[in-house]
Amino acid sequence: MADILNTLKQSILDFDEEAAEAAAKEAVEQGVNPVTAVGALADGLNELGEAFEKMEVFLPEIMLASDAFKAALAVLEPELKKANQEGKKSIPVVIGTVQGDVHQVGKDMVATFLTTAGFDVHDLGVDVSPSRFLEEAKKYDAKIIAAAALMSTTRPVQKDLLDFLEAKGVRDKYIVFVGGGVVTQDWATEIKADGYGQDAIATVELAKKLLHAA
Amino acid sequence: MEWNGKKRLLTAIEGGATDRMPVISVCQYATYELMEATGAFWPEAHRDADKMARLSAGGATVLGLDAVRVPYCQTVEAEAYGATIKDGGQKHIPSIDRPAFALGEEPKIPQDFLARGRIPAVIEAIRILKAELGEKVAVMGSLVGPFSVAASLVGIAPFLKASLKKPDSLLPYLEAATKTAIQYAKAMTEAGADILVIEDMMASLDMISPRAYKKLAAPYEKQVIEAVGGTAPVILHICGKLDAVMTYIAETGVSAISVESAVDVHAALEKFHEAGIRTPILGAVHPIHALLEGTEEDVAAAVRKSSEDGVSVISPDCAVAPATTIANIKAMAEAAKKIENRG
Repeated sequence: MADILNTLKQSILDFDEEAAEAAAKEAVEQGVNPVTAVGALADGLNELGEAFEKMEVFLPEIMLASDAFKAALAVLEPELKKANQEGKKSIPVVIGTVQGDVHQVGKDMVATFLTTAGFDVHDLGVDVSPSRFLEEAKKYDAKIIAAAALMSTTRPVQKDLLDFLEAKGVRDKYIVFVGGGVVTQDWATEIKADGYGQDAIATVELAKKLLHAA
Repeated sequence: MEWNGKKRLLTAIEGGATDRMPVISVCQYATYELMEATGAFWPEAHRDADKMARLSAGGATVLGLDAVRVPYCQTVEAEAYGATIKDGGQKHIPSIDRPAFALGEEPKIPQDFLARGRIPAVIEAIRILKAELGEKVAVMGSLVGPFSVAASLVGIAPFLKASLKKPDSLLPYLEAATKTAIQYAKAMTEAGADILVIEDMMASLDMISPRAYKKLAAPYEKQVIEAVGGTAPVILHICGKLDAVMTYIAETGVSAISVESAVDVHAALEKFHEAGIRTPILGAVHPIHALLEGTEEDVAAAVRKSSEDGVSVISPDCAVAPATTIANIKAMAEAAKKIENRG
């Protein structure tokens, strides 16, 4: 089993989509615990993430690794669901990049990490209006709304989202996270967001912590 | 010798001494308060030459900057190629809804490129600014760099992935974007732009590796700079932590490099000095920490820090957030005015 876990992790480090998918199939055939398999993939992503921080690898590598991860995840997902049915229901999250902003990558990373952490993630994509965040959150009965902004010109839209939820009288129903390169803890505090995720890993930790507290 | 903004900026870019530190905003500086003050608002100011010019002129008349610039967003070229643009309304800048091409499709350059979308409005706004302010203030025409235009032609995600897997598939887009950038840049200088700004925000190490910058971004920036060489100085702006590529950027032949405060300006200038490079560096007042969220004193401190690091012209790191106060931008200008510039 150690072999196939290494293969899974290596496929991510090589950002090789085909290898990741093949390794995931192999893992299912071998009856590897799907949670363990996803963990191996996440190890690969984490390692690449650290190399990215040190500017040893760059965004295109991360994007391709993220594609490889998704391909493997698609294979493992049915197994994960089976496993989850035996356990407790996963928490729905809606995530998106705010209106006027089409940056995708950071948000995708957070979505991916939340998925690996066992959340039921609904990715609304980019350029998401406040009303659509709410609509989709209602639809999926989400507990968490995560909104990314990557530009100094679109960061104010995170506040628009919180104001909108407030105006609709539903602010208390959701835990709202804000994140993105231009976002700071001060900003999150100022607009009264529930949390600020500095990066994908921090966001997952925060999600778990806040849910526990709620 | 009578100093004014235009002369001050042009002299500083050439490496000369000036009466004091020049101060500009290399990237967009329109704010909600500036719209109120000038009576020219988004979204009209993105499309209407008069309003575009009026809002831009506020950079000199209201904010006290040594240069004015147009336009306010980075989607003008993509729109001229046929991308669908989503209007940002009064509060936001326009964004690309659907790129003009799918990766693999031939990037046809429209025959009437310079007559399409908002290009005529930008050119006309430059003419108006030149006529109204051109004696005293530098008029800057800002275009998007070939790498970034090419990325916007097919969409950023497919473009970046291909930059690693099949870089050759990107060449047609880079070549087309270079050709149109040269056309557009020439039209800007003919309309009276004193300085050209190339914003190549996607050519950042936040997006690509130093190797990819050297291979896929720098050669095309260089072609544009060479094509307009002599007609106007060119300021190249790239976002992010660029320490590893500062020398490559200088080697494009650009007149000045505009950077973010993430770059170690002092170290870059030392490296330049050793290599015999004299390209000045512009920057680097943080648009969020200092300008948007800081006090006037924080802004002044950021200006002094940039000056101590060795910048030749004070400018925000990149686009000014539209919710920034006029008071804070003025504080940046005032702090710069207190600094000597011996060249």
